[in-house]
Amino acid sequence: MKRILPFIIILVVLGLALGSAWYLTRSTPATPAAVAGPPASASSGSQASTGQQAAVNPGAAGVPGAEPAHTRGPANAPVHIEEFGDFECPPCGLFHPVLEQMEAEFGDKIQVTFREFPLVPTHQHALAAASAAEAAGLQGKFWEMHKLLYDRQNSWKGQFDVRPVFEGYAREIGLDVDRYNRDTGSDLVQQRIFQDGKRGHSLGVKGTPTVFMNGREVPFEQLPAEQFRVVIQKELQAKK
Amino acid sequence: MKKVYITSALLSLLGLADALYLTIEHLTGQTVRCTILSGCSEVLSSRYAVVAGFPLAGIGAAAYFTVFSLATLALFGYRAAGTLLTPVLSAMFVVSIWLVYLQAFVIRQFCQYCLFSAAITSALLLIVVIGRFVLKPASV
Repeated sequence: MKRILPFIIILVVLGLALGSAWYLTRSTPATPAAVAGPPASASSGSQASTGQQAAVNPGAAGVPGAEPAHTRGPANAPVHIEEFGDFECPPCGLFHPVLEQMEAEFGDKIQVTFREFPLVPTHQHALAAASAAEAAGLQGKFWEMHKLLYDRQNSWKGQFDVRPVFEGYAREIGLDVDRYNRDTGSDLVQQRIFQDGKRGHSLGVKGTPTVFMNGREVPFEQLPAEQFRVVIQKELQAKK
Repeated sequence: MKKVYITSALLSLLGLADALYLTIEHLTGQTVRCTILSGCSEVLSSRYAVVAGFPLAGIGAAAYFTVFSLATLALFGYRAAGTLLTPVLSAMFVVSIWLVYLQAFVIRQFCQYCLFSAAITSALLLIVVIGRFVLKPASV
């Protein structure tokens, strides 16, 4: 018995390890929606939101984020997508073209809101990037700066000082650069980032990108274009 | 040597749990997301996190399971298993040093679970080396 006991112990440990791994890989994707509250009406609390900045369709429950939120797409769109993102986060950079593609494909059926969720101190330039986007937003060009920051993420995230880079982007999209420089460090901009972060925390956001669709969190593994398209299609069918 | 093997088996179980957790996170896509707490997403979504299509964490789990098996067998008198422990742990230690170097100087982000694994491997090697080359003569 003593000769075979170690093999029994080893087999038991192997069984436990494989069993727990199998159980957890099966159960993990099924639960991410738990952090979000119940879906809210697509039109509740919305005002005209087709512009650069507009009052946001609140989608998920939780404390309000910065108002007016950065939203594009019609307020009465059946699908409201709220993204918590960090401009320095590589997966957010990968999700950015996916979202653009979905907006092009689904047109006025979706409304998109972006929320700042800079991961400090994990990403050293995340706060500066969020400030740059918010400062651009004060001049009505949030989405232009948002696009540049994501499209060129790889070129600035390794830089020691990103301020001149972002200032160049501000100039490129036609901002009043003096005003932009004043605004990046302003209380208003910092307060907007803080408010979005507060909303994220209240919804249980722990990482980026975190995406809510009509108030329910979309599991991270469903964010690639093929899966995300299906999620939107299902949501549209459910709304019919 | 019994205490050395028992300690090694228990420590390797800790390492196995750590590596399994990372493997599951990898397979479910959770570690690919950027998070508030650590640079794990940067480390675990880097190109170094996958070797020949296998998650490195999974290979680590297999290595810890091997150490656990060898320590258990050695505890029950299988001498060859005890002899194999040192080279296996030495290889794991070298890989750990390489991975810590990658985190510090290439990826420039640290993942606490990876550091914990490196600490476990170092402790295991230290215990086995001390047991084998320092304590053994006295305990035999």
